[in-house]
Amino acid sequence: MSDHAITIGGPSAALARFFGNRTLVTGVALALFVLLPSFLGGAIYGRDPYLLHLGQQLLAPSAEFPLGTDSLGRDVLALVFDGGRATLVVALPAALVAFIIGLLYGLASAIGPAWLDRVLMRTLDTFLALPSLVVLIFFASMVTLTNSTLVMLIGFLSWPGLARLVRNEAIAQRGRDFVLAAEQLGGGRWYIARVHLIRVMAPILAVNGTFLIGDSIFSLSALSFLGLGVQPPQASWGSLLDSALDIIALDPWWLILGPGVMIFAALLASSLIGQGLNARFGDRS
Amino acid sequence: MSAALELDRLSVALRRGGRTVSVLDELSLSIAPGEMQALVGESGSGKSIAALAIMGLLPRRAQVNGSILLDGRELVGLSENDLRDMRGRDVGMIFQNPLSALNPSRTIGWQIAESYRVHHRNAPSAEVTARVHELMRRVRLEPAAERAKQYPHEFSGGMRQRAMIAMALANGPKLLIADEPTTGLDPVVAGEVMDLIGELKRAGMAILFVTHDLSVVERHADRIHVLYAGKSAEWGPAKTVLAAPRHPYTEALLNSVPRLGAERLRGIQGNLPEPEQRPSGCRFRTRCRLAYEACAQIPPATTYQDDTALCWLPLDDAARATIQAEEAVPTAHAVTASRLLTLDRVTVRYERPFGFLAKRAERDQLSEISFTVARGECMGVVGASGSGKSTLGRAVLQMVAYRGEITLGGVSFAGLHGKARSGERRKIQVVFQDPKESLNPRLTVGQSLAEALRLGGMRDRGLIRGRIDELLQSVALPAAIATSIPSGISGGQAQRVAIARALAADPEVIVLDEPTASLDVSTQATLLNLLKDLGSAKGLSYILISHDLAVVSYLADRIMVLQDGKAVEFGSSHAVLHSPATDYTRRLIGAAAQVPVLAQG
Repeated sequence: MSDHAITIGGPSAALARFFGNRTLVTGVALALFVLLPSFLGGAIYGRDPYLLHLGQQLLAPSAEFPLGTDSLGRDVLALVFDGGRATLVVALPAALVAFIIGLLYGLASAIGPAWLDRVLMRTLDTFLALPSLVVLIFFASMVTLTNSTLVMLIGFLSWPGLARLVRNEAIAQRGRDFVLAAEQLGGGRWYIARVHLIRVMAPILAVNGTFLIGDSIFSLSALSFLGLGVQPPQASWGSLLDSALDIIALDPWWLILGPGVMIFAALLASSLIGQGLNARFGDRS
Repeated sequence: MSAALELDRLSVALRRGGRTVSVLDELSLSIAPGEMQALVGESGSGKSIAALAIMGLLPRRAQVNGSILLDGRELVGLSENDLRDMRGRDVGMIFQNPLSALNPSRTIGWQIAESYRVHHRNAPSAEVTARVHELMRRVRLEPAAERAKQYPHEFSGGMRQRAMIAMALANGPKLLIADEPTTGLDPVVAGEVMDLIGELKRAGMAILFVTHDLSVVERHADRIHVLYAGKSAEWGPAKTVLAAPRHPYTEALLNSVPRLGAERLRGIQGNLPEPEQRPSGCRFRTRCRLAYEACAQIPPATTYQDDTALCWLPLDDAARATIQAEEAVPTAHAVTASRLLTLDRVTVRYERPFGFLAKRAERDQLSEISFTVARGECMGVVGASGSGKSTLGRAVLQMVAYRGEITLGGVSFAGLHGKARSGERRKIQVVFQDPKESLNPRLTVGQSLAEALRLGGMRDRGLIRGRIDELLQSVALPAAIATSIPSGISGGQAQRVAIARALAADPEVIVLDEPTASLDVSTQATLLNLLKDLGSAKGLSYILISHDLAVVSYLADRIMVLQDGKAVEFGSSHAVLHSPATDYTRRLIGAAAQVPVLAQG
């Protein structure tokens, strides 16, 4: 009965739809809360995060140091800003790498010959069977850790979930009538994948791509926490938590607050945006 | 005699996009015990809304006015608790899709018992079991004790629907509401379900039968009530309404149903107006061939021989004869003798994918089918679901692997690979059943057609645009529809786009796989006519696959009847229809809409 047409309204209708989706709005707000300080906060705040304020170590938050200082006398707020940038410039490209590998691997498995599907999926099972954090630590200990090696490491380890999802979804979509009709018209495998499968899977890809961002922020923070991520002296959220842990006995709550809140906000933002997109696209199909 | 159900000016309005939209407007009808009343209308007519209103299943925000008397008790305004109490006990309801209404993880017996227990909380289990078995025997699910232990997936479509009926009957309701219970069932099974409902009626049940299909109603209903765009158009005794419809809409609807032996279907131009765009006065007037100035005013009700029509110009015998004479345009169908498509002992074997543990299952879905189709000929393939008719279509389309040989214009597909193969395949196109599935939901109509042209090697944008206009014109769609996305157009329109896409490849053969099965009858009629005209204008060959013998007989020159993957009958349409050689064909014919011609033949 409720088969009414989708009205493709002007920008105001699009805005109304966006603000009607509270999950998405909250997610985007949180994402801005993470992105703006990380990329602009340092410049606005203007303090050198790596300047040692001698004699002013481990100060609790005050008017002079809004988030206090660490055990070396560095300004924690400035460190959180700079550490955020350092975390995101690795985590975002890493998510993109994982996304591209996952998409291509899944599509190849779905549209390739049956033997290829079998080989790719068994390989993937093997991959999934390995505990990824352990593998990550293993490889991280073998290579020189720079931003680009970290991007590759995290990217190469986060794609399997997406690959399996893409493969299953593509196989389900491949049997639909309009895909069969395109094959009948002469469309080849990659043509079908490009023009039809990716398009109808766009909502799923958007949702899971967003989740990947959260995953790689988490992976990088975990690595940095273990000292295997972004290398000192460069700060990152994970390494800030790690340095707080060293002196946990002194109860330096302000050292944990900043990076902790940011990691939490980043993960929540990626999850909420993902869910919001899901709801947004869900009522379309 | 007191009525089991009495509706008095029942109106329903829903909130939609911030506005209040009337979806049902002053429906009045009454059904006596032992009577079946058919509520007929196309999708969007408000017929299902009426059924939901009686069950109290409308969304909470719906505004219901008027009165619903069930066995003398007013239902409008009852609390949710009282309604829940009434539902299932005083009114039973069966739906269109029995599979989605059954819980796959529970036995049939448990589910029937559950519907009884809901209203008999403290019934001892022996009593419940006895009741379940009694109900199952009543709907012919026998042996009841064994059938009760089975799960929905072990039941055929017809058996599931009978299980649903048993559940609806569990508490001995006085009224049964059947909402398109036979749609989607194959015709033989649908006939059995209808016979069962007919029996219930004779046993004293009042039945409200909601349907879009007049041929289902024909044999069983006592009275017919036709709805159009939320408003009653005509109501009266079934025999009178069907034999001598007085509202032009009823008349047009009746002539949209394909019948065995019909020469030309009429259909109704245009689409059902959206509630927001209904015309003033008579709601049918924008699609009515007889409309004149007066129709802009609300039409009066006129009654003749107990048949009431809301129309300024109710039809009489003379008017009906005139309309029919205008429509009787004979279609000359010249079939050239050249063989175009040949199938030689085509066999398709279904192999279940096997793992380490699963045994390899094999079954011939199609065995040794051979025939030839001439240029411009329409070959009909008929069979119940599971007969292999769709598999046959897919083999012709080269979508499944097969043994045997298929040649097109003398070229066998067996020796073709790569480009040569896809070029040859392109000459055979397809139109599928579900119009919403056959177009990519994320492409506009124009993009879908452009894709078809581009895959044929057309590159020039201007050429493509011009050809799209031509294609849309050839399927009688406005050029402006090119910018619409599939969810914004109707099913009939989407199916026309699918035909246009097939034509874009300049095919020689089009496989039509149940092309009209998801459409309303009036749309079906115009689409069948379009296919008929396109076929003779362009010399196209069709392979028309359908479970509906009437649809097939309308287009096909020859008919092949399939059962369990084998051809059980093959001959000219006339021969197959008039002197069927097998019982199976006779049953298919019996299940299709009847015409007097057959009774004589």
